[in-house]
Amino acid sequence: MSARPARGDLVSLQGHYAGAVTRFAGYSIDLVVSTAVFALALGAISWGVRVITGHDVSWNRSNIVVAIIFVLWQFVYFGYCWAVSGRTPGMALLGIRVVRADGTILPPKQAVLRSLVFPLSFLLFGLGFIGILVQHEHRALHDLIAGSAVVYSWDARAAQLRFLARQAEVPAVGIPSPAGARPDPAS
Amino acid sequence: MPGHTKCVNPRDRLRAVSRRVTDPAEVLAQEATERVVELVVNALDVNELAARIDLNALLGRVDVDAILKKVDVDALLDRVDLNALLARVDLKPILDRVDVNEVVQQIDMGALIEKTDLGAVIASSSGGMAAEALDAVRSGAVGLDGFVDRWVRRVIRPKQPWPAAPPALLAAQAEP
Repeated sequence: MSARPARGDLVSLQGHYAGAVTRFAGYSIDLVVSTAVFALALGAISWGVRVITGHDVSWNRSNIVVAIIFVLWQFVYFGYCWAVSGRTPGMALLGIRVVRADGTILPPKQAVLRSLVFPLSFLLFGLGFIGILVQHEHRALHDLIAGSAVVYSWDARAAQLRFLARQAEVPAVGIPSPAGARPDPAS
Repeated sequence: MPGHTKCVNPRDRLRAVSRRVTDPAEVLAQEATERVVELVVNALDVNELAARIDLNALLGRVDVDAILKKVDVDALLDRVDLNALLARVDLKPILDRVDVNEVVQQIDMGALIEKTDLGAVIASSSGGMAAEALDAVRSGAVGLDGFVDRWVRRVIRPKQPWPAAPPALLAAQAEP
């Protein structure tokens, strides 16, 4: 069984509920990005303190203050991104966005609520995320509480056109196109 | 009158007499004719007359080719001011009746890109390798989503089909 759907099918997926793999990949990217930004911020603060006061500041992972600041930063990162655009950088990269359960734009208050209840889905070994797999609208626990849903937002039709354009350009530069490389647009 | 001789043509007298008779007669005849024509026109049922005319037979006797041969189309077109004609045409109601979305749906974009320079334009404006990589990543993730989703449904066997999208987005997709 092929894991890759025909491109014609992808065209019709815009606005559909996003699946678990895309959402997990998006969250993983967000975790890396937010942690990197946090680490950079801590490094910048350490450098600033050393330049101004001459004292070295060392950040310890077990430091409760650092942990609290990190958690707060996570709330700010996700809450701000969802409130402003309905998507985090990771979600934008994967082409998904958060909307209200009915499909309309997520209001900022609901976005903030979603970021506040987001940790609840991690409880009980992440059981809250099971809903993405088995719930008929692919909504996790925090989605159900905040009244939100995650949908595909990337323009697969434009991607298909780009793909076709690249394929059409191949013969123009003298490189023969391999047999069967072009997908059937009607499929 | 002395020293003046008056010569009268005897025909002039006759002409004058006949003019006095014929002028009123002519006026009378004119009035009578107008009256008769008016009476005839009023008595005629033009609709019935038109109904009796066999236009097909009439047109069958007309040699249209011969007429068209006599028409100088170039000269005719030279006399037509197309700009003025188009200026009088209100295109908006015509365009309102055209379903552009339906027209666009009928376009084979693949063939269009293949046969025109549109492909080069799109390719040059799509960010090159970065866009290609992003499309590949997203397509792969969507494919895996579908794969996982199919297996989950196979296991839990939902009694009713799951909705594909939130209601507002479904409605938006359904609109032409």
